[in-house]
Amino acid sequence: MPQPDRLERVTDLLLVLLDANRPLSLREIGEQVPGYPDGHEARRQAFERDKRLLRDEGVPVLAEQIDAEEQVGYRVDPDAYYLPDLGLEPDEQAALNLAVAGVHLGEPIGREALSKLGVGGQWPRRGATLPLVDLPLADGLPALPVLFDAVRIGATVGFSYRGEERSLDVAGIRFRGGHWYVVGRDRDRSEARTFRVDRIDGQPDVGAPGSSELPDGFDADGAFDRDPWNFGSGDALEVDVAVDPSEASRVVTELGPDAVIDRTEGGGIVVRLVVTDVEALISWVLDLLDHAEVLRPDDVRASVIARLEAFATTPPATGGRTVR
Amino acid sequence: MSASLDTAARLRRLLAILTWLAQEGEAPIDEVAARFDLTPNRLVAELEMAACCGVPPYTPDQLLEIVVTEDTVSTRVGTTLARPRRLSPREGLGLAAAARALLAVPGSDEDGALSRALTKLERALGQSAIDVELDAPELLDTVRAALDSGERLTISYYSASTDHTGDRTVTPRRLFASEGHWYVDAWCEVADGIRRFRVDRIGSATPAGPADPGVLTTPLPDDDAPGASGGSSLEAFVPGPDSRRVRIAADPSLAWLFETVPSERAGDVDGRPTWEVFVAGDAWLERLLLRLGPDSEVVEPAADRSLAPEAARRILARYAD
Repeated sequence: MPQPDRLERVTDLLLVLLDANRPLSLREIGEQVPGYPDGHEARRQAFERDKRLLRDEGVPVLAEQIDAEEQVGYRVDPDAYYLPDLGLEPDEQAALNLAVAGVHLGEPIGREALSKLGVGGQWPRRGATLPLVDLPLADGLPALPVLFDAVRIGATVGFSYRGEERSLDVAGIRFRGGHWYVVGRDRDRSEARTFRVDRIDGQPDVGAPGSSELPDGFDADGAFDRDPWNFGSGDALEVDVAVDPSEASRVVTELGPDAVIDRTEGGGIVVRLVVTDVEALISWVLDLLDHAEVLRPDDVRASVIARLEAFATTPPATGGRTVR
Repeated sequence: MSASLDTAARLRRLLAILTWLAQEGEAPIDEVAARFDLTPNRLVAELEMAACCGVPPYTPDQLLEIVVTEDTVSTRVGTTLARPRRLSPREGLGLAAAARALLAVPGSDEDGALSRALTKLERALGQSAIDVELDAPELLDTVRAALDSGERLTISYYSASTDHTGDRTVTPRRLFASEGHWYVDAWCEVADGIRRFRVDRIGSATPAGPADPGVLTTPLPDDDAPGASGGSSLEAFVPGPDSRRVRIAADPSLAWLFETVPSERAGDVDGRPTWEVFVAGDAWLERLLLRLGPDSEVVEPAADRSLAPEAARRILARYAD
């Protein structure tokens, strides 16, 4: 007798559970699926291992109460396991292959997703002219798939963000400027809020499907606050910043042309920013080194100067090179 | 029995083969084996095993419909286990994000096949409400056109790591977006090598004639097929001549800032955590130190301890006017 192949038993088990129109007891499973040991305890152990394997592979094996000696029965709901056929045309399949090949997600989930969908066609080789996009999904973003699923099932999420508990009806997920953001309605504050996903602590708690109370027609695009200096809870301030020619084109790319309120000779610009988080603004301005200067208001300008003076007067640490 | 793959991996592979095969109908054994990375014999053995699987009473009409001939294998749409399966949230996110990202590349066809595919996906997966925005620097099209036609470009370039603007002639080789910015890897005639440029820091670009064919075949760093293993990543950071490791001590609350730059957590110094940061140039380090605040300090090399105070004085000079 050749050694029975466990894959054959697992495949038969999956087929039997999918075919079942009612939950099957362990005894029935042992009768219908070849390859399980005869003894009750050995059979139970073998089945438990197979069930865990299927669940780890994303197969929704349901355990339900049954009116029998064994009390628990098992089945797989085909509607929860299969997708309706997507009806993808060959050119659409090719386009998805191209997207998955051209976009780095940091892990091969895109390709695994395509194989679940049965997307055929050629796997494209990278050509020099295919633009590539690096889109981090894997590193440090455990919250992202949870938020994604919360949108799909219309659930409220709760999470801790920089030490504060938040409860959010999620409206959408945005990637911009190298970061993932989630936008929605903050339930405690009853207003639209945007959060950076990489700053959410741990995994969000997901409420029941349909628990989200997002108003109809909630405008995720309009509510999306893109600039870090708008993430604060302070009063909105208008801050004018002068930017040198060398950084002007980058700043215009970042802020959009509408932020420019003045242009100086030689290509310099003055931009006006609406700011609720002055710290974030200072960080942004300092990133431009001596190519930018806060012009007004005076108190923000004074904060920048105070910050810089704190640096300039920091005594060199022991053993440090003496300046000049 | 396959010695190298466990049952779970074999099941995953079997389901992938069946689902793919159902879309194709019939396919040559060699092609299927190559695509799923197993030998033709192994493929036939796995599919013959699967063809015996089914439900009681295990009569032929109750078994999986898989046909294995001398040269080909086939199954059909609708066969159990060969139908598209639901995606996990991670997989759904990955696919939607990849499609959205490519649609966000300036100049992509918004009504094209990818867009139609995404619509069908979202109809089946549920509304994903995911959006990807990529920068659209003014000269992206110019750089892309030069890349497509194998042309050289003379560019004026502001280098953030050295804080200088200079002219150079380059041959674009690869264009990509990372961390929200567009970069071009190009042969630089000044450096006589491949260098990485941020497209939004290119101030002007003028065509400078056809590229040297030798330059077009110079290997690029990290030039393996992307996505296949998921292992290789296009980092925006490439070590340059001024690159070095700098160790910085800072308050633990600033850990998130270190996570946004190439760095590694190192041991504590005087009870404060430290990070080893991969620094591309002085100006880059100045920016980081200024953002970290005056309480953070360079542990080593000692020569870098004066950078932040000097930068602060330079910026203050501007405010003194």
